[in-house]
Amino acid sequence: MKILKTLALLLTLVSTVAYALLEVTIVKSEENAFPIVIAPFEVIGDADQGADIANIIRDNLNRSGQFNALSSNEVITNKIDFSYWKARNKDAIVFGKIEKVSSKVFNVYIYVYDIYTKKRLYGKKIAVHNSGIRRISHYLSDKIYNVLLGQKGSFDTRLTYVTVTNDEKLGRVYQLEISDADGHNAQTVVKSSYPILSPAWSPDQKKIAYVSFKNGRSEVFIKYPFMRVKSIKLPRFDGIASAPSWHPGGQGLALTISREGNKDLYFYNLESKKLIRLTKDVAIDTEANFSPDGKSIAFTSNRSGQVQIYIKDLTNGTIKRATFEGSYNAKPVFSPDGKTLALIHRIGKDYRVALLDIKTRDLTVMTQNKLDESPYFSPNGGMIIFATNRNNKGVLSVISLHNNQIVELAQKGAEVREPNWSNYSK
Amino acid sequence: MTKKIILLTSVLFLSSCAGTSIQDLGDKFLDLINPSDPAVEVEDLSDSVLMLDDESGSFSGEDLGDAGMNAGEESSGKTEAEIVVGTLADAGVSFVLYFSYDDAEIDEEATQVIIDHANFMKNNPAISLRLEGHADERGTREYNLALGENRALSVKEVLGLYGLENRVEVVSFGEEQPIAFTHDEDSWQKNRRVEFIYQ
Repeated sequence: MKILKTLALLLTLVSTVAYALLEVTIVKSEENAFPIVIAPFEVIGDADQGADIANIIRDNLNRSGQFNALSSNEVITNKIDFSYWKARNKDAIVFGKIEKVSSKVFNVYIYVYDIYTKKRLYGKKIAVHNSGIRRISHYLSDKIYNVLLGQKGSFDTRLTYVTVTNDEKLGRVYQLEISDADGHNAQTVVKSSYPILSPAWSPDQKKIAYVSFKNGRSEVFIKYPFMRVKSIKLPRFDGIASAPSWHPGGQGLALTISREGNKDLYFYNLESKKLIRLTKDVAIDTEANFSPDGKSIAFTSNRSGQVQIYIKDLTNGTIKRATFEGSYNAKPVFSPDGKTLALIHRIGKDYRVALLDIKTRDLTVMTQNKLDESPYFSPNGGMIIFATNRNNKGVLSVISLHNNQIVELAQKGAEVREPNWSNYSK
Repeated sequence: MTKKIILLTSVLFLSSCAGTSIQDLGDKFLDLINPSDPAVEVEDLSDSVLMLDDESGSFSGEDLGDAGMNAGEESSGKTEAEIVVGTLADAGVSFVLYFSYDDAEIDEEATQVIIDHANFMKNNPAISLRLEGHADERGTREYNLALGENRALSVKEVLGLYGLENRVEVVSFGEEQPIAFTHDEDSWQKNRRVEFIYQ
């Protein structure tokens, strides 16, 4: 019950005015998805939200690429016609009901059954505030994903990204946005006439580090999107300060800092305010990303004369080159299990998201695009979100690593770029 | 108004669960790093760095305003710097240098342009220069930010041969401020540039 209260409260935070809506489209659907049925919820009393819950869950599971979730024509109460669904090659069925308790509070009941064994895999009754319907739907999507696949879902998480619009009076307007993982509940965190880039959720999801040019040059700031406190500016010297990457412990960030023209990687401890130099090379070192255990960093460097990715083991100080295929590999990010890097790989004249198996050095190009940027893993490692161009417009693209299904998030009249995916809620 | 109320709730909520979220990690990161690693240098910035960003305390942190207004202010009359810079422009000297893909090298032609600027600066000792480095959209944003800085630094290096380095400021915008917007070599060529801005 305590957990539920927390969920409801968090929801009131994200349910402020939605400034802009991301339109979500499944661009490329693939086979090899788990066939399931998610029935419309039975509604008891005045509770139209019942339809929303089933729809949100269905959309979530379909977006993951892991499921082919269809609706049923009728509400299912408690008698399941297992042979009917078995004949239609469905593996599992989800149904439930929503019951009005008071003007703003509802009881949600949900059940998941395996059609072959006829066993109940999950059953739950949850009390939820009206404003918490979306959040509960994401939470339940994660539960269903977990009982059916044995893996964690990434639905009850958030995105941050940058939009760029052209305003008649103000010129280009840059907005740092946050939204739910499905693109709903979008909110503006920073609005500026100056470029914004590289937003990154802190591991506790309370802060976003980002780069702004509002003082005439690139500087790193930390914003608290849910708190009314001042943002923090991180140190800079005579050149650029950029490319923030949180240490998984949250106590500080890796940054690119240029001093006397030399761009190297540093770690800035937010508590002790100590700055620790991590690389020292006359070449460009940038785009650091911490491994999930915090013991190494992957980064981009042109120290070999080409732009390639290196991994520094912070415990012994050794630096090893990680990419050997192609003449341009940049912007590495570790997968949550630490075994793979997502990166930008140039092939011919095109820049595409690729995956590198760190141990075997196998490189797999994941897209057919021309200008991919800024890949980032979903917290369960099942998807990669990145920015690309579609019809001369910046959009976000999400690729399922299960079957390469692609979902695009676009905004009318705006370029969308620089995506970053939060960790799980606590 | 609704927004304010929601914000207050959020502050109350967050402070009520602060006990579980504060992590006392201290200098844990320092323990991890190998002390014999020659790259590692530690600096204590606790006294020297301005930490709070006073200009954007509000939730939505709107930085709009100054940028939109600047255009109007500039039309009120030319400064002395603008008048002397006008003479350089009249002499046909370019205020933009262009670069090859993923490259910060200065060719012979560009060197001649920089020399013209160096002579101009020597003749006008009150003037200072801001070099703004840019990149095209290809490749990653943060790498391009670094590349843009290297381009501006290459120009500064030549000016340094004339003893002008203290009057030159270098800024990089990476691929964030293109002047041409199509996704082809035509635009990319125009965007890989260093701009000379006198102040």
